[in-house]
Amino acid sequence: MNTNLKISNVTKIYPGCVANDNVSLEFNSGKIYALLGENGAGKSTLVKILSGVIIPDEGKIYLNENNLKLNSPLDAKKNDIGMVFQHFNLFETLSVFENLIIDSDEERESLREKIDSIMRKYNFSIDLDIPVLNLSAGQKQKVEIIRCLIRNPKVLIMDEPTSVLTEQETSELFLSLKKFSEEGILIIYITHKLKEVMELCDEVAVMRRGKLVSVSEIKNENIESLANKMVGQNLKTIKKKKEKTSSDQLINIINLNFISEDPFETNLSDINFSVNRGECLGIAGISGNGQSELFQVLSGEIISDKNSIEFNKNYIGDLNPQERREYLMAFSPEDRLEQAAIPQMAIFENVALNNFKSSNFFNNGLINENKIKEHSKKIISDFNVNTDNIELKSQFLSGGNLQKLIIGRELITSPDLLICFNPTWGLDVGAINYIHETLIKINEQNKSIILISTDTDELLKLSDKISVIHKGKLSKIMNADEVTSEKLGILMGGGN
Amino acid sequence: MIIDINFIGLIIASIMASSVPLILASCGELITERSGVLNLGVEGMMIIGAISGFALMTVTGSLIIAVFGAMLAGVLISTIFAFLTQTLITNHVATGLALTIFGIGISAMIGKNFVGIPGKEFPVLFEGLKDTIPLLGPILFGHSIVFYFAFALPFITSYFLKKTKIGLIVRAVGDSPESASNQGINVRLVRYACILYGGSMSGLAGAYLSMIYTPQWIENMTGGRGWIALALVVFSTWNPIKILIGAMIFGGLTIIQFHMQAVGVRIPVQFLTALPYIVTIIVLVVISRDSRKIRLSTPSSLGKSFHKDN
Repeated sequence: MNTNLKISNVTKIYPGCVANDNVSLEFNSGKIYALLGENGAGKSTLVKILSGVIIPDEGKIYLNENNLKLNSPLDAKKNDIGMVFQHFNLFETLSVFENLIIDSDEERESLREKIDSIMRKYNFSIDLDIPVLNLSAGQKQKVEIIRCLIRNPKVLIMDEPTSVLTEQETSELFLSLKKFSEEGILIIYITHKLKEVMELCDEVAVMRRGKLVSVSEIKNENIESLANKMVGQNLKTIKKKKEKTSSDQLINIINLNFISEDPFETNLSDINFSVNRGECLGIAGISGNGQSELFQVLSGEIISDKNSIEFNKNYIGDLNPQERREYLMAFSPEDRLEQAAIPQMAIFENVALNNFKSSNFFNNGLINENKIKEHSKKIISDFNVNTDNIELKSQFLSGGNLQKLIIGRELITSPDLLICFNPTWGLDVGAINYIHETLIKINEQNKSIILISTDTDELLKLSDKISVIHKGKLSKIMNADEVTSEKLGILMGGGN
Repeated sequence: MIIDINFIGLIIASIMASSVPLILASCGELITERSGVLNLGVEGMMIIGAISGFALMTVTGSLIIAVFGAMLAGVLISTIFAFLTQTLITNHVATGLALTIFGIGISAMIGKNFVGIPGKEFPVLFEGLKDTIPLLGPILFGHSIVFYFAFALPFITSYFLKKTKIGLIVRAVGDSPESASNQGINVRLVRYACILYGGSMSGLAGAYLSMIYTPQWIENMTGGRGWIALALVVFSTWNPIKILIGAMIFGGLTIIQFHMQAVGVRIPVQFLTALPYIVTIIVLVVISRDSRKIRLSTPSSLGKSFHKDN
């Protein structure tokens, strides 16, 4: 049976921001639709309206000519609209099975059979009786998909589904989505990754600043045309000049081990690598394979053996982050609001935080506010942070602006080594471009980078050498121009 | 010295009786906390239950009205907490502390007229069977209905959480209210219900103290049992069966140290009085140190306000 979903003149206004401005769209089953836009373009708001999480100020939604009243997620479910959110809506401490049955009224036994048959049909293999927190991101997503499929949905909405997946998991997901589409489920795929749109979708709708910019068929588009529509200006594509880097060794990690007391952390074993001046070492891997532990060990959040880290001919393994900064290391952690900045503090206060000793920010224990503010203004203008109010609490900065501020804060002291962990996670194309340009510039100034990232494209673009971390172990270090994303994918999955 | 085997039975029975209010209040608070709400007002709700039960018994003369009235009083006072924390989104800790202070104050005020009035005898079940089995007779028979209910409650609670749909929903809300809300679960309703249920159990625990355990009204008669109940929930890692163990150890040591004091053991009284608190916590920490299990049973959203924004 054909499914027709129509969004008609939907508007949603938040204080100071029009999230959806009179958006109208029409979808038909049998096709996979992409909803493309930068962060803050309004695509997430639109799908949250479709799934009943947000109620629009104006506008109507029709499914097969019926006007839907979607006042809660329950209404969306009842009307056969299934949604897989970007941030999983799973209960980590409950078992997979409990997660799947929580919103169903059917008998447990018949549900188990139904779930089994869905898993067989689409080749999913997940143990139903283990707690969700033991699953990988890809498996968690499958649980979310199964949860939708149990209800035989007419519409399946996927919100940025690949941000946490590996290359292989992504292609598996695409196969499944194509299969769902052939079976008559209408698929709406939200993303800001252009490559995926080209690979998977039949039609694409582009949103920018709350407005629908264009609707077109994929065959009439290419990556550049979509990028320009999305950003609204011509993007210059950046490329790293691959030149011979120096052989002057900056940091050397020697037999580094870390054994965690927390069973949900990953142990690191026998980590050995070195980075030369002017070089970028990329560390790839599926999240949860020891990246955050590695970052913490490198940054000094976790202290290790003194001799396991040699930096600039000093052994610094037993120093804390503050002391390591004095040796000209800089850090940009993964979680911008939890680890890198304090959300409730003003921009200029956050700027002062990584610079307690080696600056003139403090006089005899008192804060020299003028100096800090002056310094902050410089960071904001040098690193293109889009605000002029340095007293703004940092939680009100967008992800991209916050990341620019953090990178700026770290780089303005001109460190020899920057260690960053997923620096462009969740950012839009414009901000990603800017961060990438900045990182390339650092290398050109003969400074080094250790880039821990789950984004393979990013790693291939920026790194000179690449290694893969899997279950706390590093693969051998490869030259970036000899590596393909397929090869990385295999290593990330634990293969050879 | 010949020790009468039935005497040991009686001691065990008195230990069990002293742990009843802890079990009731802890199991109620456990459900509240499993839904992600931290209600530190247990002591206050208990004392309100105690005075309400005693006052209603004296005024109406009906034990049934008194017991249910005490539970209702617990529900009413916890409604204040629920309204403040769930509707007005106040801080759980501060609101809970205020609730305890409020409960102690208002119970003392109401209780003025009831000091010195003797309580009524509460009927016990299976009195006749007490002497039929040695040792087990006094343990199993001749107790109030509340006593039997209290010892069934940890098992009922465990079954409820693990096997029933509503129990699953309660755990889900405590794990992630955001996800639950996106699944169409009414988080505020679930939390309201869990808070009110916790209130009713605290009220019952208080009524047990003033109507059955020591049938009279004494100001501040809960004497910190509400705090112990709270500690039991945390140290048992939200496991009802372990609450039962902890409550028994606490009750047991309280009774035994009384006997030791009476016999005149040469250990400082202060140490003996502190003993139940220390040992209970040590034992519970030791039996619940599996960090994996702690992670799985700790309600992740405990004490965090949930505000659905539209």
